[in-house]
Amino acid sequence: MSKIEEVKAHVEKGKSKIVPQLVQEALDAGEAPQEILQAMVDGMGVVGDKFSAGEIFVPEMLIAAKAMSKGVEVLKPHLAGDSGISLGTCVIGTVAGDLHDIGKNLVAMMLESTGFKIVDLGVDVSTEKFLNAIKENDNVTLVTLSGLLSTTMPAMKQSVADIKASGLTGFHVIVGGAPVTPEFAKEIGADGYSPDAGSAAVLAKKLVTA
Amino acid sequence: MLTKKQNLLETMNGGNPDRFVNQYEFLDIILEAPLRTRPQPGDIITNEWGITYSWPEGQLGPFPIHDDEHRVLKDITKWRDVVKCPSVEFSDERWAPAIEHANSVDRDDKYVTVFFASGTFEMTHNLMGMEDAMMALYEEPEYMHELIEFLTDYELRYAEQIIERIKPNALFHHDDWGGQIASFMSPDMFAEFFLEPYKKAYKFWKDNGIELIVHHSDSYAANLVPHMIDMGIDIWQGVMTTNNTPELIKKYGPDLTFMGELDSGVLDHPTWDKETIAEHVKKACETCGKHYFIPCLTQGLHFSSFPGVYDAATEAINEMSKKMF
Ligand code: B12
Repeated sequence: MSKIEEVKAHVEKGKSKIVPQLVQEALDAGEAPQEILQAMVDGMGVVGDKFSAGEIFVPEMLIAAKAMSKGVEVLKPHLAGDSGISLGTCVIGTVAGDLHDIGKNLVAMMLESTGFKIVDLGVDVSTEKFLNAIKENDNVTLVTLSGLLSTTMPAMKQSVADIKASGLTGFHVIVGGAPVTPEFAKEIGADGYSPDAGSAAVLAKKLVTA
Repeated sequence: MLTKKQNLLETMNGGNPDRFVNQYEFLDIILEAPLRTRPQPGDIITNEWGITYSWPEGQLGPFPIHDDEHRVLKDITKWRDVVKCPSVEFSDERWAPAIEHANSVDRDDKYVTVFFASGTFEMTHNLMGMEDAMMALYEEPEYMHELIEFLTDYELRYAEQIIERIKPNALFHHDDWGGQIASFMSPDMFAEFFLEPYKKAYKFWKDNGIELIVHHSDSYAANLVPHMIDMGIDIWQGVMTTNNTPELIKKYGPDLTFMGELDSGVLDHPTWDKETIAEHVKKACETCGKHYFIPCLTQGLHFSSFPGVYDAATEAINEMSKKMF
């Protein structure tokens, strides 16, 4: 197995203690930083797919994301620009009134590993906060709203409507969370929906690169 | 007409129930029993474990605060220094209302029921935050085993107290093990960390007069059913429609009774209506059938977030009993 393949395999397995060392070894062996990063992104892609398929669960996804971020720390000084792969900035948050964040955090991790710069607004995020973040950050290409309570679905609807009506452009709005259905997403005017974190990354990349 | 208890047993044993068991009707839950401080709407409180909960006005329920200032356990390797187990001893005055309630129950009709929450897994993430708790299962498994054993031990000591005080017949035990479409962890990981501790706890309850163990997890958890049976659960309350409950009943019916199928998220909201509830009840009763199944909202107690929803479900279930029995 090449060093690069080893990096990918260990990201998939979530070996956060070993990945930084492997990344260093790959660099020492003269591998291009870009390719090492791509290997980690691909590894997380595999993790996302397995999560969507129900083959792995939340803990596996968390440790894989941690392994990747440890690897990226080693890689960062060697990458030209800031991240190397860029799909733009993603503003993400859980909608107003809702404090659940496990799903949102998994989605953020997958989006980050796909190449988005993440601006995480946390939980209970008002429309105003979403709008400010879109204005204040450069190159926002994706706005991601999560909601877990059926009682906060109206807040999600309102936020999507307000973001769409704000006159701000250049980004897609995607929504998700357990009570959100594809029909609901469409009805409230979102640009996309997906049922889990793995497929959210696939969807986001597709929307942004289309 | 069978008593509530008889009708439940006929349903669980695949015998001859004369109607659907209607939601929580067979459990008389002694919520007066002292356990720990719980927040009321508008409160921010720190409970006996040091966990801080906030319940903002207008929200459906409380939420643990896990920022750096409030999280109890920031480093699992230090849990022994940090996690302090609250006392399980309460004064006679504190027990009095619970005892009075328990004494008023007709035990031929209903089960005098202990309410126990939060469960062992929930306690780990209430103390640590969900992400740290789940990652620690990989990164510091030995410490997690220790912490889980410690939490289980607390449950046993509490059990001793409440059993002596109110002589309960059933246990209603919360521990959410999944989200809507997946369990939080794999069945193997679940078995590695939680199966033995739960076996031990549920055996203790059963060895001491508990006849019925009802476990609440309002989630997907179909993949954990074999472990539920193994650990001694009699009824899984909170089973959501995402589990394909009719299939589970076919496969595991004699060993486990399934209570739920009326997803609270879909039915219990400010703009709820009776017709939708009746439709869901009809579908649940028709697809799951008369044995090993109890139609019930997935919510973990005998009421709804929005007034009227629980009663509407009760009424619709009575209607289905008239039609199907
Ligand atoms: C864990 C949990 C909690 C934890 C949350 C910890 C945390 N840090 O988030 C705690 C215990 C704190 C909690 C509190 C509450 N909860 Co809660 N909780 C759950 C539970 C068990 C699991 C949710 C979860 O984490 N799932 C796992 C993750 C991985 O899945 P997910 O969030 O769905 O995310 C995935 C997808 O949906 C998708 N996704 C998510 N967001 C997005 C966004 C985009 C853009 C895309 C594309 C995809 C996407 O990808 C994710 C990963 O694959 C559910 C039950 C259930 N069956 O779902 C109840 C549940 C959501 N909670 C509920 C309630 C009522 C509450 C409380 C109000 C009361 C209470 N104490 O129980 C408070 C909330 C207060 C508030 N204002 O928010 C209800 C909601 C009912 C309703 N009417 O909608 C549920 C359904 C339980 C129930 N049946 O009663 N809860």
